[in-house]
Amino acid sequence: MPYITKLEKAGIPTVIVDLEDQHQMVKQTALRYGVPEVRYIAASRILRGEEDVDQFIEPMLEMLTRPLTDKEKASGKWVPTTNDRIIFEGTMDEAEEFFHQMEYIPHPVNAPIARFTDGLPVRIPTEARVEAMLKGTSHKPDELIVHHQDPMRGARRNPFAFQREGRRPSRSASPEAAAMEGMRRRQGTPVEFQPMGWTATVEKVAACAVMAGCTPEYLPAVLAIAEAGTFIGSTHTFGHWLCVSGPFAKEVGMSSGCGMLGPGNVANSTIGRAYEIMARNLGGAIPGVNRMTSIGSPFEGSRCCAENADGLPPGWEGINEEFGYKKDESVVMVIPHVNDGIRGVQFSPGGYRAFQKSGHGGIARKLGVKGKPGPHNWLEYLIDEFWAGREGAKTVIMVPEMARHLYEYGFKSKDEVYEWLYKKSFIPLGRYRHFSWPDLGTNGWLGIEPTSGKPWKELPDDYMVPAAESPYSFCIVVGGGDEELSHQLSSPHHLGIDPIYSIDAWR
Amino acid sequence: MWEQLPYIAKLEKAGIPTVLIDFEDQFNMVKQTALRSGIPNARYVHASRTLPGPEDVDTWMDKIIDALTVPLIEKEKERGKWVPASNDRIIFEGTMEEAEEFFLQTEYIPHPVNAPISRFTDGLPVVIPTEERVARMLKGTSHKPDELITYQQERRRWDGKMYPKGDTAMMHPMNWMATVERVAACAVMAGCKPEYLPAVLAIAESGCYIASTHTFGQWMCVSGPYAKEIGMSSGCGMLGPGNFANSTIGRTYEIMARNLGGAIPGVNRMTSLGSPFEGSRCCAENADAIPPGWEGLNEEHGYKKTESVMMINPHVNDGIRGVQFSPGGYRAFQKSGHGGIARKLGVKGKPGPHNWLEYLIDEFWAGREGAKTIIMNPEMARHLYEYGFKSKDDVYEWLYKKSFMPLGRYRHYSWVDLQTNGWLGIERSSGKHWKELPDDYMVPAAEEPYAFSIVIGGGDEEVSHQLSSPRHLGMDPIYSIDAWR
Amino acid sequence: MAEIVRCINPTGISKVIETFPLASRLDTINGKNICMSICGEPDITIALEKKLKNDYTNVNWNVKKTYGLFPLPLTDEEFKTTHAVIQGVLW
Repeated sequence: MPYITKLEKAGIPTVIVDLEDQHQMVKQTALRYGVPEVRYIAASRILRGEEDVDQFIEPMLEMLTRPLTDKEKASGKWVPTTNDRIIFEGTMDEAEEFFHQMEYIPHPVNAPIARFTDGLPVRIPTEARVEAMLKGTSHKPDELIVHHQDPMRGARRNPFAFQREGRRPSRSASPEAAAMEGMRRRQGTPVEFQPMGWTATVEKVAACAVMAGCTPEYLPAVLAIAEAGTFIGSTHTFGHWLCVSGPFAKEVGMSSGCGMLGPGNVANSTIGRAYEIMARNLGGAIPGVNRMTSIGSPFEGSRCCAENADGLPPGWEGINEEFGYKKDESVVMVIPHVNDGIRGVQFSPGGYRAFQKSGHGGIARKLGVKGKPGPHNWLEYLIDEFWAGREGAKTVIMVPEMARHLYEYGFKSKDEVYEWLYKKSFIPLGRYRHFSWPDLGTNGWLGIEPTSGKPWKELPDDYMVPAAESPYSFCIVVGGGDEELSHQLSSPHHLGIDPIYSIDAWR
Repeated sequence: MWEQLPYIAKLEKAGIPTVLIDFEDQFNMVKQTALRSGIPNARYVHASRTLPGPEDVDTWMDKIIDALTVPLIEKEKERGKWVPASNDRIIFEGTMEEAEEFFLQTEYIPHPVNAPISRFTDGLPVVIPTEERVARMLKGTSHKPDELITYQQERRRWDGKMYPKGDTAMMHPMNWMATVERVAACAVMAGCKPEYLPAVLAIAESGCYIASTHTFGQWMCVSGPYAKEIGMSSGCGMLGPGNFANSTIGRTYEIMARNLGGAIPGVNRMTSLGSPFEGSRCCAENADAIPPGWEGLNEEHGYKKTESVMMINPHVNDGIRGVQFSPGGYRAFQKSGHGGIARKLGVKGKPGPHNWLEYLIDEFWAGREGAKTIIMNPEMARHLYEYGFKSKDDVYEWLYKKSFMPLGRYRHYSWVDLQTNGWLGIERSSGKHWKELPDDYMVPAAEEPYAFSIVIGGGDEEVSHQLSSPRHLGMDPIYSIDAWR
Repeated sequence: MAEIVRCINPTGISKVIETFPLASRLDTINGKNICMSICGEPDITIALEKKLKNDYTNVNWNVKKTYGLFPLPLTDEEFKTTHAVIQGVLW
């Protein structure tokens, strides 16, 4: 849309072909970029290409030639309905009613949706409560939320560069990495909350934190999450996922133990929920209007877990250290887009123990270690499933005992695990071409395949390519109880956004 | 654990001394369950999760013998009554501010949690259940406030036994009972409106099972006209945030598990990592989008189209997958046979309708065995119908056939060691002993065709999610909402 | 003066539980009939069975084994003649 509006402003008429249920989103985004009256026409999700084009081609071309209406010629200012500091004044009962309003959203929702909340009860953000919340930070209430650092501090991304150069990325941001993010996310620039691109103050974030149910000491974490800009998947996502690494977790009473991604712990639940409350209010995200994630998932507005620093084997870094922070510094890892779900529990806890202790049971049978006591590399058991559905590196959450087993098996650092996983991800190109998303990712197989330096179209079907972008797109989180369990989900780097935000910067 | 203690209690009461072997972090659960079974002082010995068997046994063998021979101490000889701390109808009286503080209390749970856990909530703010609010909520049902929650029809519980209609529902895991009024209190806390109460009562009837050691959580879906009546969403983002009914009804599962069932992380709900699916949202089936000849969930389970039911999947056992294909990729595949999906299925250049399930099927049993629930948006259901599946059963039978695999591969799964009782016993389809069958004998990874489930809902973007079967634990997943109006 | 509210108890109703004394312990295990009731966890229970049988040869061991969660109960006959039960492993 920025490109379209740039053309229109330069005097070049355009027409957009979109899909019908996305009209609201088109109009909203067009408004955001200053040309609210862009012309657009809907194509069909189901008619075959030729039939479909036949029916819209004439009206589409007509949009380029039909003269402008007065409305379309108008210049002006769009003023938001209210940017007032106080949004409501009245009795507490009236405030409760106000904040729990709904609005009916037509197709593709066809149901009422909460105006200010995630659908659950919120704590009314009275002036007094917000003031009390603000004691959780030294930042001023009317301070704009800005980026605290250039993107990609401790850069581990640019995965295709890794495939080309085979070089381990450095921990500090390179000028190129910062440039790739563009000027919008440079240190000091205001954060643009998605999807509407609005800005916010510390006080507004505090109000959201009150609504979510946070206590004042959680505020630095919520501000760090705000700094991420509340990205919400536009068409498909399983949601977001957050993890705190560093002493802050224990300080505020987060759980990194049994059931940490489940209910019960106030910090884990309310800090996680703040993401959603902010997406709705600071980012203006409305299901069916500009967040089109078709089915949705409870991971949206989900809990924030915490890394169990004491559960890390020797030589294994915490998430903070992996990204260039010190062990005593606290960060929140924001995974804005869980893209292919969450898996786990492929083995029974008893089955895991039998496997490691004495080499018995299904896992041992599959790995061919019958009768051999461990330590065994249990990842070997799961690896077949990782790329059965689609490509992409993974996040692996594991309980401390299982991390310890990997260490005893021989992985003396997380990087060693990542490099092992990456090697295991190599598959024949013929199979890689059966995935769906790479059609997009490779721009239709034009261009050069990074590991060979040759065009994709020249490579034979048996050429081995990595299903995972880079070893350092994998992520390990150690936490949970004593029962031997692992969950796997998509990489924090999936969208190429820096997932790490300093909590200390917001104290 | 819940299955073993009653048997142990029977032995002790009959004069046969016992000793239990457990793991140290489970010890609270052992004590609780022992108390519930009437033998709070049952003797136990801790084994290790990590030491190999022979070493492990060496370290506590003496303790086993001691447990059977060292004479009872005074406490262990006592007979008595354990009276619950408070069953009072009013749990708190004070100002609203004090009530807020009361309900937001936390208690520190030691290993394996080592963190504070909320006493009455799921960790998020609740609406205080004052008498007035609960009275208002109770208008949502014709059932009396002091009525016990009982089974509205005969059903099978998690212990595998059948319970007759009218039996008191036991809330999991403490086997406590609930009244309609207490369920209403939980509904108030969750943020529900009175018209949501029948759905919440149906969920209460299920006992709010929480898994003991591993689960991705629970998942609920309403089928029938009730969903529209109360403003649920069966559209875009229905499992996501925003819709009050979906969010608050789903949430009650967790509020009830905590309060009515007494489920405490790290004490008697040991699910090691947890997941946001615990206490998650309730979605709704889009009845208008069901293709001709396909049944709604209500009809599939013997109810009429005009009747409303709640489907509860109490144990999502292997996660949730989806989005294997890009929406644009899906459209290219169906409209003209182009892109990765078409390549894999060998239909390059051929327009659909194609069976998109064929694309996903490889992944279904890549990790473990078990039938699936498939959530699909209306367009994708329509495509399956046009491809030739004239009923949901047609799809289920196709999926079941596709689940067959060589026994050699099936034996690489882990859970099947348990389910086949160590491969003793007879394999159903052949009638032979498991141990007699060759590695290339074909067995189904899915239990049966009708363990699969299809839920139609969502927006226009072509997306499908897959999770485990609602029948995974052998419980009947369907509860009538109409029975609770 | 802030308004007083009364809050309905949302917790489940627990029955009064009758608690029983444990069965008297054995004076010795020698010569007794003891049942090893095994539920899964073969890594531990195989070693346990071996060691018990090796080290305590004067005991009449009765091993009842299952992989599942529900222990194999003593038969009516066994009930009359069994002196003690070792139950493991509980999950």
